[in-house]
Amino acid sequence: MTTDPIIALSAFAILALLAAAALWPRHGIWARLVSRLRLTEKVCTEDTLKHIHSCNRRGVPCTVQSLAGQIGVSTTRAAALLATVIEQGLAREGETGPTLTESGEAWALRLVRTHRLWESYLAERTGVAPTEWHEEAERVEHRLSGRDTETLAASLGHPRWDPHGDPIPTSDGELPRAENLTLLNAPLATRLSVVHLEDEPAATYAELLRLGLFLGQELTILSRDGSSLRIDAGFAELHLAATHARNVGVRRVSAETSIQGVPDEASGWTTLAAMAPGESGRVVAISPACGGPQRRRLLDLGVVAGTEIQVELQASGGGPVAYRICDALIALRREQAAFIAVVPQQARAGKRVRAADRPRRDGREAV
Amino acid sequence: MALPVSSCSACVEKRGAELVQLGIRPDRWDRLVGLAGNPNVGKSTLFNRLTGLRQHTGNWPGKTVTRAEGVFAHEGQRWKVVDLPGAYSLRAGSADEEVARDFVVSGVADLTVVVVDAARLERNLNLVLQILEVTDHVVVFVNLVDEARRNGIAIDSRKLSAELGVPVVAGVARDGVGIDELLGVMRESAAARDTLARGIATPTEAKADGGAEAESRAADANRDHGRASLHLCAVEPERPGWDTPLESYDSLAGQTFGRARAIAAKAQVSGLKKAAFAFDRRLDRVLTSRIFGFPVMIALLAAVFWLTIAGANVPSSLLASLLIDSGHGWLKGLAAAVGTPWWLDGFLLDGVYLATAWVVSVMLPPMAIFFPLFTLLEDFGYLPRVAFNLDSVFRRAGAHGKQALTMCMGFGCNAAGVVATRIIDSPRERLIAIITNNFSLCNGRWPTQILIATIFVGALAPRALGGAVSAIAVVGVALLGIVLMLFTSWLLSRTLLRGEASSFSLELPPYRPPRILQTLYTSVIDRTLIVLWRAVIFAVPAGAVIWLISNLTAGDLTLAQWSVGRLDPVGALIGLNGVILLAYVVAIPANEIVIPTVLMLTVAVTPELAGEGAGAGVMFEADGANATARILDAGGWSMLTGVNLMLFSLLHNPCSTTIFTIYRETRSVRWTSVATLLPVAMGLLACFLVAQFWRLA
Repeated sequence: MTTDPIIALSAFAILALLAAAALWPRHGIWARLVSRLRLTEKVCTEDTLKHIHSCNRRGVPCTVQSLAGQIGVSTTRAAALLATVIEQGLAREGETGPTLTESGEAWALRLVRTHRLWESYLAERTGVAPTEWHEEAERVEHRLSGRDTETLAASLGHPRWDPHGDPIPTSDGELPRAENLTLLNAPLATRLSVVHLEDEPAATYAELLRLGLFLGQELTILSRDGSSLRIDAGFAELHLAATHARNVGVRRVSAETSIQGVPDEASGWTTLAAMAPGESGRVVAISPACGGPQRRRLLDLGVVAGTEIQVELQASGGGPVAYRICDALIALRREQAAFIAVVPQQARAGKRVRAADRPRRDGREAV
Repeated sequence: MALPVSSCSACVEKRGAELVQLGIRPDRWDRLVGLAGNPNVGKSTLFNRLTGLRQHTGNWPGKTVTRAEGVFAHEGQRWKVVDLPGAYSLRAGSADEEVARDFVVSGVADLTVVVVDAARLERNLNLVLQILEVTDHVVVFVNLVDEARRNGIAIDSRKLSAELGVPVVAGVARDGVGIDELLGVMRESAAARDTLARGIATPTEAKADGGAEAESRAADANRDHGRASLHLCAVEPERPGWDTPLESYDSLAGQTFGRARAIAAKAQVSGLKKAAFAFDRRLDRVLTSRIFGFPVMIALLAAVFWLTIAGANVPSSLLASLLIDSGHGWLKGLAAAVGTPWWLDGFLLDGVYLATAWVVSVMLPPMAIFFPLFTLLEDFGYLPRVAFNLDSVFRRAGAHGKQALTMCMGFGCNAAGVVATRIIDSPRERLIAIITNNFSLCNGRWPTQILIATIFVGALAPRALGGAVSAIAVVGVALLGIVLMLFTSWLLSRTLLRGEASSFSLELPPYRPPRILQTLYTSVIDRTLIVLWRAVIFAVPAGAVIWLISNLTAGDLTLAQWSVGRLDPVGALIGLNGVILLAYVVAIPANEIVIPTVLMLTVAVTPELAGEGAGAGVMFEADGANATARILDAGGWSMLTGVNLMLFSLLHNPCSTTIFTIYRETRSVRWTSVATLLPVAMGLLACFLVAQFWRLA
């Protein structure tokens, strides 16, 4: 009574194809259905409030067209949404388009708070890729209750800034004025620190990440013309399209406030990842690109300025490397070791690390 | 606040005589003491020394993931001891570290004993200094001074005490060195603390207090102190202003380490001769080398399996003949003599008793061999090296390197493996480790693997090689499990649990010579019997169900025959049969009873075998592998059925205990369902594909 294997396998192949079509992440029928259903009345209202808030804050006019484009609905629907929020007393018609009322503002700030806290959570506690933080937070912000948000904030230690460098509104709705110094208008030949990497549009954000930019990074603009910028980012010279430069918020740094703390290239620092077994080095700093619990763990293990670290063992297949830190053997992955800046100890180190072997300071593999 | 250091060596002997280990009797105590410290410095060893308990110890960081409690009496005072999970700092990262932090910060303890590793004083002092910011009621126990001495390091505990301002005792917890002195110092510190607490209470309240009132006020003062300290150690910092830099922990950590370094430099006596220092390094070079790392790992795994398979054979059949052949017949005779009705006798003796006896005889010997072997490797310090070797593979699968440790625990028991995932600090990767732990072939499933491998795979080889070939087949299935674990982790990282592999820091502890006799004793008594007891508890109802479905009839068929008939077409499609599928449904509580259930059901539904075995619903062990083979042959089994049963035994839902543990750890019905149903789906799919391609070929 066994079924013919050919028939059974064909039936299975057809079923598998159907299942794939239905359940494929993002593009499958199920995923599309869910994203369609997600746009409920509440979500649309909240997205409208957020859009008006964002326009008001940036000082650009909010129109039916910009709203429609932002939340992905028709202009007719967008107009209806605007009418609804005005009717509910959450917004009023102003000279340059709608502005939020006090209650509307409070609601919008709560949403922004939840959104940015969730992004902080994703960055600190999960391995979700940076390019996916925004989208995830867009979903979650409509779901978390006020109490959930406060619990989340407490568990994260009440952060003030999200992983893009945006301020997180406090529970009382306090939010500092946005600074508007970007790579586009910052002075040339001045030491700058990256304080904000805009996550929208996603393609630009991905490009900034690909270039290896990160919050807290210190850089200098070498030259700028209408189409592109040449930037000295310490580890490399970057070329950035002028259209992307607007999305990088910066701040001037003086020598005293420099948090990088890494001396100039000339003093011969390298990263732990570039050292071979048997060599040793003295810790200078941990890169600002390494944050959250990961940074705290390294510090607690004794990776603080002045600690001497010796490279002991290399696991096979590009695996972790074991280092002797404070007399203990600690295994770290390559990406983490690349965050740690060290000065090689000449006495013990047999050979100097060639500059070409040096990985980039942010720990990403060269692309 | 500097307390006097006790160094009264004259009365040490006297004190030692008065230590009464009371084990777990947490009904009443006078003093509460917490044991804190970095991971893997011997907190549990000290705990066991004090309480006489056998809290599981092992040479890898993160082995204690929950707090354990015990009680001992000393000089008329009853002390309750809480063994905390290891923590590098009070700024906790993972779930187990939070347990330690919350306990220390809460201020409920009369005294905190911070255990430090003499050979790693500097980093250990980092935690001591953090704890000292929260509470003054601290005694430092410098453990492992023998190991440090071998590395050329000695600690001047008097100097250390002067630097820290709290009593310091040096010793070796596992040999009991320094314990008596520690007890004396603990007693003095607790007494000094009482005086101090009263001192705080009296001036604020002008009235003269009664004893009880003073006590409660002292407790209040203590609590307030604990709360105030919360801010000190910045567990929940004063909300930072908008101007504070993104990371302010750096300078804090830098300062603490600076102090720790200065203190360590003063307290360490350097320039001593080092003894055989290179041993650890040399061994590590081999065990983690590119050439030998993986082969050594697989060889060790195979050796452990082979010893378990070969060694368990004889005691297993001894137990079976004792409990099943003689014991069962004797009990039946007894029941007949008393005049028990057939249904009660059948239900209790044929159902419940036989299922239990089967589980005991099948499980006890392999576990009594496997657990001690595993514990020896664990005590020696090999497990972290496995995690080290496997990290690159796990990283590519988007999983955490420490998942290799929880995987190893899963080879013993999946429920234990799931609990062990608490050492993984990233929630996403911890969930992956929990969901995929079932792919570690647990000891409940070996009997199935071993028996089927012997009958269907071993039989293909010449008689002399049969055993080795079977062992290789079992290792092959275990390796397939690891591959599937990696594959599933990779799949989950790409779909349901999207994300990149997060950070990973793993301390590789020094090798420590395992203590063989103690290991044998504790692992047999604690691990083996606990797991066995669980299996027995679940085997009892399963035995009852098996007996019932074989004896209750619907129409002219028994329930068992009816269900097998219904399941047969499905079974045929995936290269199994209705009997196996029904056995798996019945055996959800405990995997161990799959094989006896399969045999019993095969006999019940195969007409040619009428008269074989011991009657309807009686679980029996066929007399050796040959008889089993004959029964299975008559039941229509082929090589394909055997191979697919081995596959399905690896890939099916976790047992009920594991499912419950997963729920308790994740608190999520959704993830529990994923962890339960995903392996079944994979098992059905794998069996289906193997069956169809087998028939095609």
